[in-house]
Amino acid sequence: MSRKIERLINLTIALLATQRYLTKSEIFRTVQGYEGSAETKERMFERDKDDLRTLGITIDVGSFDPIFNDEAGYRIRSENYQLDLGEITPTEISLLSLAADAWQGAAFADATQSAILKLSSIGVPADPIDIPGLSPKLSNSSADLETVTAAIASSDFLIFDYLATNLESQERTIIPFALSNRTGFWYVSGVDQEIQEVRTFRLDRVQGVIKQAKNKDPFEFPASFELSEADTRVSNRSAVIDVRKGKGYALRRLAISVKDLGEWDQIKVPIHTLETLGAEILWHGEDVFVHEPAELREYIVKQLQALVNNHE
Amino acid sequence: MSKSISAPLARTARLLDLVPYINTHQGIALKELAQHFEVTPAQMNADLMTLWMCGLPGYTHLELMNLDFESGFVSIGNASTLSKPRAITFQECVALLLGLDLIASSLPSDRQDLLTAAESLRKRLTEILGLPIKLFVEAGTSGVVATAIAQAIETNSGLKIRYHSLYKDQVTERTVVPVNLYESDNHQYMRAFCSTAMDYREFRVDRIDQATPADVFAEFPAKIDSTEKLSFSIKIMGSSRDVAERFAISHSTIGSSIELSSYSRQWIERSVMASGEAVLLSAPQEIRAEIAKKAQLMLNRYKEA
Repeated sequence: MSRKIERLINLTIALLATQRYLTKSEIFRTVQGYEGSAETKERMFERDKDDLRTLGITIDVGSFDPIFNDEAGYRIRSENYQLDLGEITPTEISLLSLAADAWQGAAFADATQSAILKLSSIGVPADPIDIPGLSPKLSNSSADLETVTAAIASSDFLIFDYLATNLESQERTIIPFALSNRTGFWYVSGVDQEIQEVRTFRLDRVQGVIKQAKNKDPFEFPASFELSEADTRVSNRSAVIDVRKGKGYALRRLAISVKDLGEWDQIKVPIHTLETLGAEILWHGEDVFVHEPAELREYIVKQLQALVNNHE
Repeated sequence: MSKSISAPLARTARLLDLVPYINTHQGIALKELAQHFEVTPAQMNADLMTLWMCGLPGYTHLELMNLDFESGFVSIGNASTLSKPRAITFQECVALLLGLDLIASSLPSDRQDLLTAAESLRKRLTEILGLPIKLFVEAGTSGVVATAIAQAIETNSGLKIRYHSLYKDQVTERTVVPVNLYESDNHQYMRAFCSTAMDYREFRVDRIDQATPADVFAEFPAKIDSTEKLSFSIKIMGSSRDVAERFAISHSTIGSSIELSSYSRQWIERSVMASGEAVLLSAPQEIRAEIAKKAQLMLNRYKEA
């Protein structure tokens, strides 16, 4: 095994040190470890290239030498191989360590530790941040984050079964380009291939495993999309409701405007869907009363009537 | 991506990372080096032996790396090709950016120095990504509250908190002694002895909007499980994802009856109300009656208006 490792290291050094593309025959002739028949060497080299790519090393394929223009050449560009974060300060090193620690026990714990190992080679010591107890953690609601990230990197398709609001499972195919975490849940946003529009999905509502499939076509990143649009708080419809003083804190947090009515406050809240806002209003019982729109009032009245019928 | 790289590949990665690390830590003790790379000293010795055989084509002493580790201290020379740290991968970069976003949103707003440093790092890491993708993390908890809780747990001291109880729909101030933090259903909770209730209580951390150190005089007892869970049963009347998530039930076909329990009567009542036509509470009878009465009163108000 250690011969293979030696060969991989020697190949990396040779491809990095060269100022021009090295042809396969040059590599076989000069890099230590390529032995056996032509076919064996060929197979070895193909596997070695795959292995280096798995390690995140980019190998350029090309040929600028007219003599060899029918033979592919290989090299690793140092700007692709080397970390380039510019000048880095001891405080920044500490922030990055905290960022890595946020993944403790979660999906990207290994990835961040390997990044920190690389960063430690810069030789800049960490300057501990003087805020005791500052160690927020990212929740691990999904084991699929690696697949999602891989698909984002190559604009591939993600295919999954998603639980709709009516509890039906629907197959969705998206090209993902955003990943977010709010109030403890992971969300992926992407262009839904069926409707060609941006949609956001909560990862814990995915049924089963997320699959990745190769996308060969170029992908145009939606330019105008902001993650806040995925937020339920943004909507162009709003409701006018009364909330009893000292009550309805969860609704008050959503309020766009507040008017003091004495015993009550009148607030305006955005409507994302009638069902979500309706549930929030019903949760608060007699402490909330809906004025507008009529559609929301009718929805609430219908739910109340059902509650009376069901529980009398 | 590096989902599960094989042992030889992991070792190759380690060897590549060893070169720049030794380069900036010349003369480091072999033991310490092994510790940093999380391997045994024997494994580190083997790694260095392998590395010692590597270099530029030619492979005479002129091209091989110059490694010295026999003395138990490690130094390296003639290794300029590999001397810079390796670039971080796309996945590593995404992971760091998300983590950094969480840290930045947890920082107290008066730490402009750290916020600026985090922003500068974010810019540079985003450049490395090279794609116009969006990443965003919003900490559920304010940095000040999280810090105050962590400090109180560490020093076993009291905290005055302002807490929004969702079930009671009340904001109260109480003095507590935090015991520990834990995560459940994607939310962070604080277990604490509450001197208002004179008992242990669980608080959802994102509903604490203020926390300041406070003296606590009362002696508090070891945990006695005083609250008993209340059983209730519901019948599913409509398919709704909200209902499934609210009651944390995975199978909820229409018409099925489900037995559940909760510590809070208010939670049961409010959850059934919020579910509207999709849920029927079959027991206990007192809560059923309460729901029917409340819904009727509210209905009357809508009809009058």
